[in-house]
Amino acid sequence: MHHDPIYLGHKSEPRHHEIEKGAIRRFAEALGERDPIYFDEQTAIAEGYKGLPAPPTFAFTLNPSPIPGLELPAAGIIHGEQEFTFGRTICSGDIITVRAWVEDVKVRKGRLGSMTLFTIMREGVHQNGDNAFLARSLLIVTEGVE
Amino acid sequence: MLAAGDIIGPETLVITREQIVRYAGASGDYNPIHYDDERARSFGLPGVIVHGMLNMGVIARIIKSHAPRQAHFERYGVRFRKMVQPGQKVVVSGTVQSVHREHGQTRVAMDVLMALEGETSAITGQAILTWPDEP
Repeated sequence: MHHDPIYLGHKSEPRHHEIEKGAIRRFAEALGERDPIYFDEQTAIAEGYKGLPAPPTFAFTLNPSPIPGLELPAAGIIHGEQEFTFGRTICSGDIITVRAWVEDVKVRKGRLGSMTLFTIMREGVHQNGDNAFLARSLLIVTEGVE
Repeated sequence: MLAAGDIIGPETLVITREQIVRYAGASGDYNPIHYDDERARSFGLPGVIVHGMLNMGVIARIIKSHAPRQAHFERYGVRFRKMVQPGQKVVVSGTVQSVHREHGQTRVAMDVLMALEGETSAITGQAILTWPDEP
């Protein structure tokens, strides 16, 4: 695992996601949703959305490009915390541009060895510049994970 | 109408292996700890575990189902405290902390919880929901 702190705060290359109806339906279904606004476009439009609205945590499926300088192990990372602040709701037909960066890195030494805490931010922006979401993840990598 | 101190839920549910597989496909998160027992054990886990983000999404679904139709999340944050295994019974609830009405909007802050049997917290967090008031 490598991390070069010189890249702290440097944003990844923008990645554009076209939001598809099928992706929203599959995501909502996986969460056990039954609400027709996530499945039926006419219902969603009648309730004031421009397409099928995405459930809030759908934002996290919109992966960013790699963050320069950051290499995390492929497995064995603990997702400690997750927080979102939401702007305008993402709907099918939207194009969302996502960028990510490392906000903070902390090393903690304890009885069981050391662990590294990464605070990773992601932002999603609508085509017209409106904010869609800001996401903060706390990832914990323990010593010995390669 | 929600008021401080109101309890949302509790709803008891079980996340199945099938749901985990659906979530892996829907989210693109194919980390083997969510479908391969042996790989999960090689990382010191008791077997496959539910995606934290699937649990977070399920909590949001339940909270929103108890709010007005026009409600949306302004903010939603959780801490993943304990792993959840498929087939394990979990209980999801919310506790309203505050309700504010201003500028034609209602804004509700609540604590959210996913508990395992025996009331161990698996996930704790906060959500803020807003919706426009009726004119």
